[in-house]
Amino acid sequence: MRNSLPLLRAALGWSQADLAGQLGVSRQTVNALERGKYDPSLPLAFKIARLFDRTIEDIFHPDGETA
Amino acid sequence: MPATAGPKASAPGATLYRMYVLSLATCLVGNLLVRLGARAGWLPAWAQVTLGVISALPLAAAAILFWRLLRRDLDEMLQRIVLEGLAFGLIVYVPLAGLYVNLRTSGAWTPRLDPPDILLAPAVLVAIGMALAWRRYQ
Repeated sequence: MRNSLPLLRAALGWSQADLAGQLGVSRQTVNALERGKYDPSLPLAFKIARLFDRTIEDIFHPDGETA
Repeated sequence: MPATAGPKASAPGATLYRMYVLSLATCLVGNLLVRLGARAGWLPAWAQVTLGVISALPLAAAAILFWRLLRRDLDEMLQRIVLEGLAFGLIVYVPLAGLYVNLRTSGAWTPRLDPPDILLAPAVLVAIGMALAWRRYQ
């Protein structure tokens, strides 16, 4: 699954470690999320959406769908 | 921005794995002492049993700590990596063990496995499984 996480994070000037701290996960998990290697659980997806004040659909895009 | 500390993860489940290896080592040292003592005759039977039980206790403690660490200290991706490693270890170990038993029973050449080898094999397989899962998510 593709996502806009790197763009949203960069817009706020956060590092991966900063975002990891906000979400309560490891930096490795943020890295895997941003690279599309790991799809978050629903609770984590909601947490991410709330953090950036967006909807889940705004941030995560299933492969094959345009953002 | 305020950054709260996230779960520590220098490597997935590294603490858990180190803990298990240490417990296994203790168990293996106990096993070695029991065998040496039995062979040389300086360890009475009751002491062999006692030593065997005591040296295996850290594994029981590790199992409890493992459960707590897995549920509380690892985030969802790291939990998944550890669980995939465990699954890989079990899935590969069972057919290998079955094959070994059948080959040995049929008289074909098989390497002689001591109790320490049998104890270590799943740990090595779990480590391989965790490494593979870690690669997949990075």
